[in-house]
Amino acid sequence: MDFRLGEKAEEVQREIRAFLAEHFSDEDRKEAAEDGGGHNWELYRKLAAAGWVSAGWPKEYGGGGRDPYEILTLYWELCKAGFPWIGLLNNGFIGHTLMAMGTDYHREHFVPKIANGEIAFALGYSEPGSGSDVAGARTTATPDGDEWLINGEKMWTTTAHTAQYIFMLTRTSTQDRPHRGLTMFLVPTDIEGVEITPIHTMGGERSNGVSLSDARIPDAYRVGEVDKGWSVVRFALGLEQAMGYADLQERFIQHAGQWSLTPGADGQRPFDDPRVKEQLGQTAIHAEVSRLLRHRSTWITAEGKDLGGKGAMTKSFSGTSYLEDAQSWMDLVGPAGLLKEDEDGALAGGNFDEAFRQTPVNTIYGGTAEILRSLVAEVELGLPKSR
Amino acid sequence: MDLSLDESQHILVDTFSEMLEKECPTTHVRDCEGEGFSEALWGQYCELGANVMGLPESAGGLEMSLLDLGLVANLSGRAIAPVPFLEVATVGRLLANVAPEDPLLAALAEGAPAASIALPRSNAVLGTSTGGTTRTLVPFGALADAVVALDGDTLYIAEGGEARRSSRVQDIGAGALAWWNLDRAENARVLATGDEAVAAMARANAEWKLLAGFWLTGIAQRALAIGSEYARERIQFGVPIGGFQAIAHPLAECAIRSDGAELLCQEAAWADTEDPVRFEMLSSMAFAWGSQTAIRTADIALHTHGGYGFSTEYDIQLFYRRARSLSSIAGGAKEELQTVAELCFDRDGSGQAATLLGGAQ
Repeated sequence: MDFRLGEKAEEVQREIRAFLAEHFSDEDRKEAAEDGGGHNWELYRKLAAAGWVSAGWPKEYGGGGRDPYEILTLYWELCKAGFPWIGLLNNGFIGHTLMAMGTDYHREHFVPKIANGEIAFALGYSEPGSGSDVAGARTTATPDGDEWLINGEKMWTTTAHTAQYIFMLTRTSTQDRPHRGLTMFLVPTDIEGVEITPIHTMGGERSNGVSLSDARIPDAYRVGEVDKGWSVVRFALGLEQAMGYADLQERFIQHAGQWSLTPGADGQRPFDDPRVKEQLGQTAIHAEVSRLLRHRSTWITAEGKDLGGKGAMTKSFSGTSYLEDAQSWMDLVGPAGLLKEDEDGALAGGNFDEAFRQTPVNTIYGGTAEILRSLVAEVELGLPKSR
Repeated sequence: MDLSLDESQHILVDTFSEMLEKECPTTHVRDCEGEGFSEALWGQYCELGANVMGLPESAGGLEMSLLDLGLVANLSGRAIAPVPFLEVATVGRLLANVAPEDPLLAALAEGAPAASIALPRSNAVLGTSTGGTTRTLVPFGALADAVVALDGDTLYIAEGGEARRSSRVQDIGAGALAWWNLDRAENARVLATGDEAVAAMARANAEWKLLAGFWLTGIAQRALAIGSEYARERIQFGVPIGGFQAIAHPLAECAIRSDGAELLCQEAAWADTEDPVRFEMLSSMAFAWGSQTAIRTADIALHTHGGYGFSTEYDIQLFYRRARSLSSIAGGAKEELQTVAELCFDRDGSGQAATLLGGAQ
């Protein structure tokens, strides 16, 4: 066995840390947290210029040909540093998808512009009436000559307000079972009939709702065959689920550990209280197990094997354990834990407040813990379908 | 990165799996509950070299890695085998390390289940400490003639088992526990003193904890398999109960945690040679998480059985009881979590958060 990610990943870690040291100040981090949009064009273009947007694409399509361990490290370092990286994640994936499933037009018109940081995409799957039941999407695409008319509403379309396009799941047929009548489109955000309204979250993120009213797009913006959009979505969700939040859990436990070793106003170290020590041990284990599950998912992907339920395991465990830890720590650290970063007397740079507000969503978006457990039960334990 | 076993490890797993399937069905485990030990099964273990696997060649050993030992411990946990594999392996390696000429090592290499270890408990709840020279509850202590212990910075063998040990005391896990008087005023052989002694016991403790982590993970995996099988077959309201999310989701959660436990144990064993600075911390994590996972999984699997799970007729209670006892004999998860924190953040007591999280790249 070998638990190392390897030399190439180590090199990526050094490069990204150097990039962050040069381009991403603590001020930038606070700004990104304040903004909450998950994407910053100025920083993003610097990443693109250094080749990181297309780093994971195959070399034959002009990508960097980086392996899954290198990409894992790229995301890990950016996320742990508080970099607004959602745009990078989406675009890396969509570029990849367009190369694999798109047309020559997509490859010529969109892919180079994604690679050089000119354009960005948001993901448009969820709707007001369909979250976990992704295939229940009701936003329609109706053919009109060589064009399509899109009507309906999308929810949680994070980065739509900064992106030029939304990678959108639409319904094109109601004749067959729900997942057999779905089609993917690239919908420009600046055309008539597309209206974007902000959704703000308790965790400080800014997401969006998108309403579509006779938004007209050319057939050339369709991705994949008509009524065959489901496989594209499943692939995208699988990618997200195989990641989890081990990077953030690692940051959280490091801050908690450092804080606990610093004597408080009474001269005592929180670390020397057995309750704190016990919680540190538990949180450290959760972070380690989350990291191992994520590394395993990456290894399975790198080996070209099927993830089965193991991607779902990664996100399910990471999301639930991080939430549990954030709540347990709040219960331990007393009133000053409530304070935001930079408030007088805030603990550990607002570590506990931030995690308490941000972790509930980790067991919801990109596949709720319940959806993921059902998947694990069916695929890994052979239990009957339970919904 | 490579998370697969190599060919020789596959052969090792196949060999022990076959032996355990044949020699250690749960009927045999039940037959041994009166003694907590199966002499016949231990004979089979020794025939396959389990008692000398981890020893150096000079001590008649096979020089196999901690990962190899861990694989055997994991299969033993799945079979809840009533044998002192953990204790014999740990004490043998400790002796080979500090006192390779000691006759006790030769006895272990010949297959005698002759020795056990008094595990240190630095974070015991007030009033429950049984370490040091006081009366100590020793795993497989009812079989042992000698127990290795640490008193301050003196590492010694407490010999003369007959005068020191109580008769077997019955415990939840139907093991072979006995109370030992570890007074070293007489009949004690000093193995090492000072830093060397402390380091040797820390090492042995970490190895026992790691192998116990593998064992507990095995208990969790087998309990999960039993619970899942029951959920697929038991019909209520006209359908298999595994189709109800209230049944399926807790089992799925246990599957996730068991996978995590296995990875954690394997990483710790790998770190022994490849990332040694993290070895002790990861071994402590493996024991704490293995404990939590085994106890939780056995509980969920038992509950899946409804009332039958509570009856002695069904096997799941065998696993429920043994998960608890193997964890508690070393102090249990709550104690161990504090040790994890010390090893992770305050290794030398200096208060420097030289964090060992993050892993090897």
